[in-house]
Parts: sequence; structure tokens; C-alpha cells
Amino acid sequence: MNARKLSDGQFAWLLMIPGLALFLAIIAYPLVAALVTGFFEQSLVRPGRAFVGLANFADVLGGDFWPVLRNTLVFTIGATLIPFVVGYALALALNAGIRGSGFLRGLFLFPWVIPGVVVSFLWLWIFNANYGVLNGVLTQAGFIETTVSWLGQPVTAMIAVIVTKTWASFPWMMVMLLAGLQTMPKELHEAASVDGAGAVRRFRSVTLPHMKGIAGIVLLLEFIWNFQHFDTIYVLTGGGPAGSTKTFAVAVYDTAFKGFDLGHATALGGLWMLLLLVLVAFYLRRETKESS
Amino acid sequence: MTTMNRRDALRMLGLSTLGATALAACAPDASGGGAPKGDTAAKTFGFTSWSLNEEAQKGAVQAIVDAYATAKQVKVHTASFPYNEYLNQVTLKLRGGQVSGAIQLDISWLGALAAMGKLRDLSPQAAKGGYTEVARSSGQFDGKQLGLPWTTGSIGLIANTDLLKKAGVDGLPSTVEEFEAALGKVGKLGGGVVPYAAATKAAQLKDILPWMQTFGSPLLNGEEIAVGDDASVAAVEWYKKLYDAKLIAPDVDRFDARALFAQGKAAFYDDAIIARGVVSSQAPDKTLTEKMAPLARPVLKAGDTPRALLWGHVIVVVDGEGADAAADFASFATSDTATVAGFFEKVKLPPTTTAGLADPKVAGDTFTTDWTEKITKTATPNPFWRYAGYAQIESTIAEQVQAVLVGQSSAKEALAKAAETAKGLQK
Repeated sequence: MNARKLSDGQFAWLLMIPGLALFLAIIAYPLVAALVTGFFEQSLVRPGRAFVGLANFADVLGGDFWPVLRNTLVFTIGATLIPFVVGYALALALNAGIRGSGFLRGLFLFPWVIPGVVVSFLWLWIFNANYGVLNGVLTQAGFIETTVSWLGQPVTAMIAVIVTKTWASFPWMMVMLLAGLQTMPKELHEAASVDGAGAVRRFRSVTLPHMKGIAGIVLLLEFIWNFQHFDTIYVLTGGGPAGSTKTFAVAVYDTAFKGFDLGHATALGGLWMLLLLVLVAFYLRRETKESS
Repeated sequence: MTTMNRRDALRMLGLSTLGATALAACAPDASGGGAPKGDTAAKTFGFTSWSLNEEAQKGAVQAIVDAYATAKQVKVHTASFPYNEYLNQVTLKLRGGQVSGAIQLDISWLGALAAMGKLRDLSPQAAKGGYTEVARSSGQFDGKQLGLPWTTGSIGLIANTDLLKKAGVDGLPSTVEEFEAALGKVGKLGGGVVPYAAATKAAQLKDILPWMQTFGSPLLNGEEIAVGDDASVAAVEWYKKLYDAKLIAPDVDRFDARALFAQGKAAFYDDAIIARGVVSSQAPDKTLTEKMAPLARPVLKAGDTPRALLWGHVIVVVDGEGADAAADFASFATSDTATVAGFFEKVKLPPTTTAGLADPKVAGDTFTTDWTEKITKTATPNPFWRYAGYAQIESTIAEQVQAVLVGQSSAKEALAKAAETAKGLQK
């Protein structure tokens, strides 16, 4: 075959080969190997493994799968919607051209550039029951008489991890939404004003429809990321108290690296991935729809 | 300018693909193979230690490494990970064949590492090391001497005698009833003082196990999980009672407890003998260490044997590259009398050899001798350590005890659930 006679399509495939090879070596092979491990009784520390069929999956589904799914969904929904509302409000305020908006935009981005683990440790100190800043401030202000164990009670612990993740996530959402707002023609608002629409009506009838696309993508991506999130929860609560903040990421880590039980860990991971695939399918469908 | 035609591009891409494939082929296999191989008499070896990552100890450990390297004209490559991530990192690296030489281990981790079948039997070194029997047994697993004991002690209770005096507590409590009464008196001091900075976070709630033993639970009967028996349920109900009465505080792990104790805000807490060094480095009151007193864990009724958890570090050696030199180093670090006495002087970790313990630097230290007499003397290993998944067994129990503390479950139900889950982890 004369290489000079390669078509553009063939040449494009050739360009993709290194990427595909790396994908196979770094993503596909470990993924398939991990999924296969779910069908074996395999330990991280003991040599050898034994085929157990679907037993690991049955154990996982009959064990903590449902409470873990519930925790994951509570965390994911909370840590997606709350920063979205905060980010949207700030984007609207910054887009209104208030004085110092450039400085404020930089300031609000600050939490986003701090590594997640550092953010988590900062909030760990804030929420500490015995010498935390939050209890100190609330006690000084007279709102509470005795200290509150924010991370020691199931409900407040979940709120704490959502608040921490909100602090870390809202800047990204704010920037994306602000970019969307800035593409909106001013004439639309001006025309609506001329027609007598107030601020709320203009927001509902002009801003929201215009932002539907970008808001949907931002929400979906953040939902997917939160569904896989690990560091905030692991640092703040380790999945506790009493498993009340244990999400899939923490449960898989504990099973694999505390119990050294790779079979059950990968079975849980496989089920988790299936759920994630549904979300990814939504995203891809939406992307395909928009590009066509 | 040189231009590249499609044939050149094809060649380059082919080579890249070959490279990527080779990379994949070099990846460690899923079976956990890949033990390090090479010259076992090599004059260079590795030493992995979490102590090299801790401010209070790294100078003293590095001094031992440097002294050995200079004396034997060898090169020691050191590596370190934080304690909380250490077991995972070492396990993964050992599985992938990426660690060799000597490795510092907590004695509770020996079972997990031994299961990998990559550790050298150090019986010859142990036989001539002069270790005490208790210390030597802490490095044994399944009849093999897989670790040389570096320090052997226990996890026990420590009291702030100054706070107890202020609260009107005379002497140290020796029964659970006296202990509870003392906590009640300390609780009345107010000012944010936590009477007993007991672990309430899952990471350290394993500290409740000696209390379960105090109440009469064996924890493990042969191969049967005994957690959930009447004694362990009574222990958890008692713990919950202290929690509700605010005699123990929520959200406390070992690090929080040390911080509270160092600030004079806790009258009792559980720690290893290392406590004195750690607390003194954190305490604003430089005389606090003089007010620290180790005490035998209070017993249910007078005459019972106080319970404590055996604690210590061992050095293991990975079979293969540099193993001979690493074993010699492990022997030097743990049994050379001048070295272990010097190490004690710097970090206050008691040695494991008879000669080391008899050294005036050690024997003349009242805190250490008190600790040994009151706590270590009756300390026993955690029976779950024999299982590779012991950490998850402890986590399961801790999680269920937390459920009791936060009012989600009764002690009986929670411990029955813990026992059921733990059964599946006895591998």
C-alpha cells in the first residue's frame, strides 16, 4: 500500500492510534480487570483468587448498598443544587455590572483554586466540636450555650459535608453561568423593559430560557462529579457518624483498603459505575442533541 | 525546513503504539506478583518508616540510619508515608514489588503484611537479639518471627493529676465505679474541660475494645465473634451513659484527645507511651508532663485484671533485594544497646531488649517504669489482629458503637449487627 495514497479518514485514524493505545492500556484494561475481579473472591494481601460468580454482587446488594446509595444521592443533590443557586445568584449580581465586580469575581474564585483536601481540612477545624471556630462564634454571639457536635450527628454531618462542598464548587458554577449570561443580547432585556416587564418577569421570561442550556450542562456535570466525590467526605467524616455520610466512593475505599477485599470492592464499584453510566448517557444525549 | 510525509508519520505512530503497548505489558499483574528480586547481599537497601514523616521522631530515626550507613559503608534509601496512609501505601507497593529492604510496622499490621507471603523469617536475628519474651512475640505471626521488635508498650489511660486535684479527686481511680465518680467531679469544673477525652470518632473507637474486655467480653471465642455478648453490650451502654452525661465528648479522635489534654482541657485520655513526648511538644504548660500519670484501666470489681492493648513497632524485612543488609540493619536498630538507649533518650519509646531496658537512661525514667508496671504488664494483643481484614472488623464495630452514641440504635442491636458483619471479614 502506498502511504501517500492514504485518505484523510485513514490518516485521522492513524492519528488516533496512540491515544487509543494509551486509552486501552491506562483506562480500558484496568477497568475490565477491575470488573472481572468483582466475580472473584480476591484479597489485596493474599495471593490467588477464586471464582464466585455473582456472589459478591449479591452480598453487596444485600448489605449496605441501599443506605450508601441514599447517602450518595442526598450528598449529590445537596452539593449540586445549593452551589448552583449560590453561583447563579452571584453570576446575576456580577453580570449586573455592580461596582468592583472584577475584584469580586477574582475573590469568589478563591475557594475554587484551593485543593479540595486543604478546603476539607479548613472546614474540619471550623466544624470541630471541641475547639472549632463555628462553635466559638455561635457561643460568643449567644446563639448556643453548649457546643454542637456538627460532625458527630448524622444530620448535621451531612449538612457539613454539603456546605464544605458548596464552598468549593460554587465558583466554578458562577463562572460558567456568568459566561452564559454575558452571551445574552442586552437588547432582549431592553425590549422586555420597554414592554413593561419588571426585573422578576425579565428574569423568568428572558434570562431563564436563555440560560437553560448552560444551566443544564452545569448541573449535570456537577451532579456526575459529586456522585463520584471522595476527598471532602473522607477528610471531614470518613463516612461517619455511624455510616450516615458513607457514599459509594468512601465505601469502595474502605472495602478495598481497610478490608483488603478487592472482590466486594469491585462489585460495589461496578454497580456504582452502572449508575454513573446512566448519568453519562444523559450528558452524551444532551451534547449530541445540542451539537446537531 | 524538514517536512514529514505520511510514511514517516506512519512509522512514528507505529513506534508510539509499540511503546504504549510495552508500557501496558510492564504494568503489574492483578495477581499481586512481582516480588523484588536481586542480589540479597547488596550493600544498598531501602528503609520505609512513618516515623521519618513525623517531626517528633524523624531526627532520631534518621540518626540511627546515618549511624548504620556510616559504620557499614552501605547506602540506605529511605521512604516515608503519613501513619494514617502508611499501611495502604506499603501494601500496594509491596504487592507491586516496589518496596524492598526494611519496613517499620505497627504490630497490628503484621498479620496483613504476613498474608502477602513476602516477608523474611528473622528467627536468626531474633535469637541473638536479647529481646524480652513479650517483645519477641509481638513480631511473630503463624509461628514465624517476621518482625524484630523496635518498641513494645501498650495503649492505656493517662491522667492529668493537677486537674484531678482541682476537682477534688483523691488518688487515681481503680474501679469503674470510682472512675465514673471521678469523671463526675471533673465535669463540675466547667470551663470546657472534658473529663475523659475518650475516642468517639470512628477512626479510634477501637479504644472501646479494652473496655468491653473490662466488662468481661473475650471479644473473640476461638473463631467466634463474641462482640454482642452481654458484657460488650454493658460496656457500650456504659460508654453511652458517659456520652449522654457529657463526661466524654463527641468528635474526638487520638489527635483531638492529645490536643485537649495538652491544653489542660481533659483529665483522662487513652494513648500509647509515646503520649508524653507528643503532649509535651503541644502543651503551653511546660510542667504538664510532670502532672501526667499513667494508670491501670479501672476494673469492674476489685481484684480483676486491668485490661490494656498491646502496642508497639516492629521492623520487618522484604525477602529479595538487599534483604541480608536490611535484616542486619533491623537487628542493629532494635537491639544495639547504645542505639536503643539513645533512641529512648530522644523519643521516650521503650526498648525491647533486656539490656536496653536495664540501661540507666531507661531504668531511671519513672514515667516509663510506671507505665510498664501499671499498664504494659497486663496488656494483650487485639484478638482481631490475626485477620488480614482486622481494620475493617474494628471499623464495623466502631461504626455500630457510633450508631449507639448518636441514638440511632440500641447497644444490643448495634453489636449484633457488628458481629454479623465482622463474621464475613474473618479471613
